[in-house]
Amino acid sequence: MTQGTGKQTAGTTAGAQTAAAQTDPAVRFTAAVKSFGAVRAVDGIDLDIAPGETVALLGRNGAGKSTTISLLLGLNEPDEGTVRLFGAPPELSVRAGRVGAMLQEARAVPRVTVRELVAFVAGRYPAPLPVSEALRLAGITELAGRRVDRLSGGQTQRVRFAVALAGNPSLIVLDEPTAALDVEARQAFWASMRVFARRGHTVLFSTHHLEEADAYADRILVIDRGRIVADGTGEQLKRSVGGGLVAFDLAGRDTTGLDLLPGVRSLEVRGDRARLRTDDPDATVIALAGLGAIRGLEVAPASLDDAFLALTSTSASTSTSPSTSTSSSTSSVTEVA
Amino acid sequence: MLDYLRLEVRRTLRDAGFVIGGIGMPVLMYLLFTNLGADDGGWKTGSMIGMAGYGAVGCALNTGGGVAEDRAIGWLRQLRVTPMTPRQVVVGRTLTGSVTVLPAIVVVLAAGGLVNGVRMAAWQWATVALLLWLGSVPFTLLGLGNGYRLTGQTTGVTNMACNLGLAVLGGLWFPVTLFPDWLRTLSAYTPTYRFAQLGTGVAEGHAPALGAILVLTLWLLAFGSYAVLSYRRSGRTV
Repeated sequence: MTQGTGKQTAGTTAGAQTAAAQTDPAVRFTAAVKSFGAVRAVDGIDLDIAPGETVALLGRNGAGKSTTISLLLGLNEPDEGTVRLFGAPPELSVRAGRVGAMLQEARAVPRVTVRELVAFVAGRYPAPLPVSEALRLAGITELAGRRVDRLSGGQTQRVRFAVALAGNPSLIVLDEPTAALDVEARQAFWASMRVFARRGHTVLFSTHHLEEADAYADRILVIDRGRIVADGTGEQLKRSVGGGLVAFDLAGRDTTGLDLLPGVRSLEVRGDRARLRTDDPDATVIALAGLGAIRGLEVAPASLDDAFLALTSTSASTSTSPSTSTSSSTSSVTEVA
Repeated sequence: MLDYLRLEVRRTLRDAGFVIGGIGMPVLMYLLFTNLGADDGGWKTGSMIGMAGYGAVGCALNTGGGVAEDRAIGWLRQLRVTPMTPRQVVVGRTLTGSVTVLPAIVVVLAAGGLVNGVRMAAWQWATVALLLWLGSVPFTLLGLGNGYRLTGQTTGVTNMACNLGLAVLGGLWFPVTLFPDWLRTLSAYTPTYRFAQLGTGVAEGHAPALGAILVLTLWLLAFGSYAVLSYRRSGRTV
């Protein structure tokens, strides 16, 4: 897997790899397994995250994101395998102040002001950010004197972000940080996160919003049924499912045989419009041109949604994507792209 | 650790329910119980200690309610991902309990001295306050035990039941001399009766009874173990 990572991202990850050679990875999972009763919530995860990377953990609800994060933060111990942060067990790295986290199920702490809360958390860390700076980064300077339990949902979320970064930790972990935020609050949040990430901090966030993972992460880990099923940039994930979507107006034409054209994987008809999902858009378009079926022709690349669906379980059985047919724990995107 | 104590004491004192129920109620009840009906100088002192004790027990148990709340909202979990150790959190919480019992004790004693004209030597006032303060530790531990074990709502109800039950049974509200014999026998084993006895002994001018210290120490150990067991159990889920 590490090999795959090295190959696939010449830009960001290669640079980070050099750093990783010199220092310990920020995060390292080695064959980590965690079960709750009969459910293997984390089912053999191997993972390296280099210092400075911004990584998205993408998966459906119940895919194992939160358990992975619990293991990472030392809130749970793996049944098998190991988890290391900066070369040390999570508990020790947390104790040393190298980690800050925004937990998913946390609610507002009652009866404290924003400043009191952030200052208190900052004070636990050996080299925290100045409180005013943490408030500014999270965009809550003007809320400093307000009580945390009297803020709106979006404001509370930003307070929790301030709490996570107050200690100026090397690694910041955000478990579904934008759940329940409106679009505007979401964008403000990611803008803050980017500023923080650019300072060289390692950021790991989980989300089930594909666009967020694509827009804000250097690297996306797709997790499904407790396993990492894909690992790469958004671009690579899209490419890994291959092809794209070719659509055109039928203009009364018969649809028979369209699904047999070169590259075509599936056919969908909406009103008078045919939508062909294809592995090879070029070949499909040439074939359509041969048939004279090019009215309103449109070619779109595969979306991340397509990639995600192809990579995760529901469509895994029908998908022909090689990345899902690999039975080993992780399939590197480059190998299939 | 001091920061944590300061933060939690602040949060407790900002809780209107705590201030009204934990400090206001005992004072009010004290003034009512001692100024309605026959005027009896001894009861003004006895009830003062009883109600100060009742307030202290209520506030001590309230610490457990705070813990249950902190668990429910994820604050304890958040603390676990800061450099604070679990031990620091528990000790900080216990200290919070012992700080937040002070207002109730002080206010009821002040009401006794200033409003009801209770007269004692300076050392007696100081010793009574100190003993009530120290004697409240077992109740803080009982509250923590509940808070770490139960959900927020159940903790509230359980603490309330413990508070009222132990207060009445231990003679904090009405003197045990009014109790039938069998109840008085039972009362002698309650931590609250022994807790108040620490203070009444001093108020009468002698050292606290050995029996009081002994029984209360046993309760301290029992509630302490309960708190530790509850905490260990919660450690997996917090």
